[in-house]
Amino acid sequence: MTTSTLALAGTTAARSQSMSLATLVGRYAGLLLLACVPLGLTWNDPYWANILAYAYLFAALACAWNIIGGFGGQFSLGHGVFFAIGAYSVARLYLDLGMTPWLAVFPAAALATLVALLISWPTFRLRGPFFAIATMAINEACFALANYTDHLTGGPRGILIPFRAGFWNMIFVERWKYALLTFGFMSIVVLITAVLRRSRLGHYLLAVREDEDSARSAGVDVLRVKLLGMALSAALTGIGGGIFAMYVRVLDPPTLFALPDIGVKFALISLIGGIGTIMGPVVGALLIVPVENFLRGTLGGAIPGGHLIVLGIILVCAALFLKRGIVGEFTGAVRRIRNRKRS
Amino acid sequence: METFLNILISGILLGGIYSLVSIGLNLIFGVVRIINFAQGEFVMLAMYATYFCTTYLGINPYLALFVVAPLMFVFGLAVQRTVLQPLQNEPMMQIFATFGLLILFENSMLALTRGEARSLSGSYSSVLIDVFGLKVSGVRLVVFIVVSGIALALMLFLQRTMPGKAIRAVIQDRQAARLMGVNVERTYLLTFGLGSALAGVAGALLAPIYTLSPYIGGNFILAAFAVVVLGGLGSVPGAYLGGLIVGLIESFSGYYVDPALKQAIWFIVFVAALIIRPSGLMGQVGAEEVGLREQT
Amino acid sequence: MTGTPFLSVENAVRRFKGLIAVDTVSFEIERGEILSMIGPNGAGKTTMFNLITGQLSLSDGAIAFRGEQISNLPPHVRAQRGMGRTFQIAKPLIGLTTRENVMVGAFLRHHRFAGAYDCASEVLAEVGLEARAEIPAGELTLSERRRLEIARALALSPELILLDEVMAGLNATEVTEVIDLIQRLNGQGMTFLVIEHNLKVVRAVSRRVIVLDHGVKIAEGTASEVLSDPTVVKAYLGKRAQ
Repeated sequence: MTTSTLALAGTTAARSQSMSLATLVGRYAGLLLLACVPLGLTWNDPYWANILAYAYLFAALACAWNIIGGFGGQFSLGHGVFFAIGAYSVARLYLDLGMTPWLAVFPAAALATLVALLISWPTFRLRGPFFAIATMAINEACFALANYTDHLTGGPRGILIPFRAGFWNMIFVERWKYALLTFGFMSIVVLITAVLRRSRLGHYLLAVREDEDSARSAGVDVLRVKLLGMALSAALTGIGGGIFAMYVRVLDPPTLFALPDIGVKFALISLIGGIGTIMGPVVGALLIVPVENFLRGTLGGAIPGGHLIVLGIILVCAALFLKRGIVGEFTGAVRRIRNRKRS
Repeated sequence: METFLNILISGILLGGIYSLVSIGLNLIFGVVRIINFAQGEFVMLAMYATYFCTTYLGINPYLALFVVAPLMFVFGLAVQRTVLQPLQNEPMMQIFATFGLLILFENSMLALTRGEARSLSGSYSSVLIDVFGLKVSGVRLVVFIVVSGIALALMLFLQRTMPGKAIRAVIQDRQAARLMGVNVERTYLLTFGLGSALAGVAGALLAPIYTLSPYIGGNFILAAFAVVVLGGLGSVPGAYLGGLIVGLIESFSGYYVDPALKQAIWFIVFVAALIIRPSGLMGQVGAEEVGLREQT
Repeated sequence: MTGTPFLSVENAVRRFKGLIAVDTVSFEIERGEILSMIGPNGAGKTTMFNLITGQLSLSDGAIAFRGEQISNLPPHVRAQRGMGRTFQIAKPLIGLTTRENVMVGAFLRHHRFAGAYDCASEVLAEVGLEARAEIPAGELTLSERRRLEIARALALSPELILLDEVMAGLNATEVTEVIDLIQRLNGQGMTFLVIEHNLKVVRAVSRRVIVLDHGVKIAEGTASEVLSDPTVVKAYLGKRAQ
């Protein structure tokens, strides 16, 4: 007995209940406004404005990582490379060509994407931990290269961007302006992620993550999907690196390539917040960045590496006990309660 | 010609070091299918443990080996039980957890040593031995001889003894091994312990060679990866040969190119190996197949 | 183009390091028929499937689909050309809902969300999973997972579906439901290649049957012809029966 006609009528109704794109964007805009509240409360305090600026920036970077790491399931430890390319490119374009950073982020993103595609194409034949360690090797290799190529990156001493405030320089006196900038960037990345999740590429990325064989048999070109996901992720990470460059204005290889501070941080924030969720990285960053700052302040002086010890413990415990992250656990609990109510 | 020979010999000896560090990792991965990011840290911890034995207890480092290796065996078992066993079927969480351990161990050591570099008294590292007219570092020669012995012993162990055959069975097919009565969980424990003990041996033998630093583990894990890709997963002769090749490449590129670009050279080597021969020199399962074979 | 077989397997061979899993097997499938492939365990049936869908490459021989050579095409291209399949061990995409699982298939022909959503809804209704559409696929029962596999293949709008032991582990009612589904789809023009152990299903569903044993095709014909063939009986019962 076919119920197609009835079912079809039912599902068209269901589809109009399932969110239209406009509703989706509206919902995330609402959540993002919520995330802006801390800034609204503390904008006058440079200490908190600074922390929020970092938190929003790293939330955006973690969202970008999440595209290939969370949705795509490809654990990259090499995103520091795209971050650094973004930072160095914007710095050089600004200092050597006088280009405004607002524009310079685009060629920077393009370069990051190009490099991402070049190194991903051979390494995507690796799976899981081997892919991770290959990307870690790339990070270390680029660290060495950055130290080596003095004329491009300033070598170990790095690049210094002199302070000259101005909107078109993307250099501000007040910290809250930076926080607003990174908040804006984060919002854009979150919305991109939300739209992506719903799209063909988004579904394909998830399929690749879950089961490559199944995905192939469903017509998915696995390598192409991974490359597209990586390209988007790298481009956004590059832009984030460019913004970072104009914020800290001191760029040297350790700052940009240190895994616990950059590469692993993106992954950790996504994990705590919820890998493969959309708001997860935001929640994770708003939690981790202030906590880490606090730890660095209290422990870092007395115990060298103290705050990283705590970071390591958090990583291990999160992997063991908080796999789905805060947002993941929350949505899971909501669904269970809703199902129980239904039955 | 003499320079060439020098580079060759130093490459072989360096290769011995890489083989030593990698054999344990390769075995662990072949059996347990977990890439332990903290494996390099095990070596680092063993090095510091050896330093402790030598400096504060007055034991010769080569004898300290017999204390450190069993210690690492137990340590490895503890890590496997508490952190890795629960994450058996979650490869991504394994990466997070073992990377977390890497950061934890590295920085704990940093905190304990307050960032001061340590090194074993110079008497060992300055010993030079005459090999065919060339002066060769004694401590490195010892490493080479020991790793060759270990590789041989391991191969015999895997071929001739029951636990060894159990390990080989699990490497080939976990399910089938289980059905044939192999206690797979115990094999994991054994292998992880063995791999950790080997890291302990590596630490003890390398302590006289390197200046101790909490960060030395990171270098080893990358080299071990290159070795595993080249030599093939789960293969002891593969790890041995792979290590030698990586050592030779590093030695030659260090002389003819630039030592500062070491990591870049490694990376080019892995990518080339991946493209040309993904399953490595002798592997049964290539690195690219990781994740393809769902083993329960 | 009339007379060109829908799917043609010519002298297919697949070797694994000294073991010959499929040994010079040839057969054809006509458009609109249901062909069953039976044989004892280890006969090479799933390997044959993997050769047809592209998960494995041929050591020798050729495979043509709708008159075009596909031997060198990767699996996703063969799926795009109109071949869907299920896997012996059902592989739902666990992190996604049932509907999203099917949408992954639907996105092949419908590039936008709305189109894929509607296609998935139709397919879910067809296989009877519409009530479970929002459930995470990991929570489905075995029978539901099997139907999800079929649904995901259906969403591709394929012309040929390969079913690998889709009845295994199902109870009598569930088996009847799946037989109904297959026959209904076949009535609408879908061609099937089915691996089955359940001989009752084989008789009910297929017009023709081929039998593999140790990688070799040992019989071909209607269900009754094949199942009364002494070579086939011996293959199943083994030498001990003598």
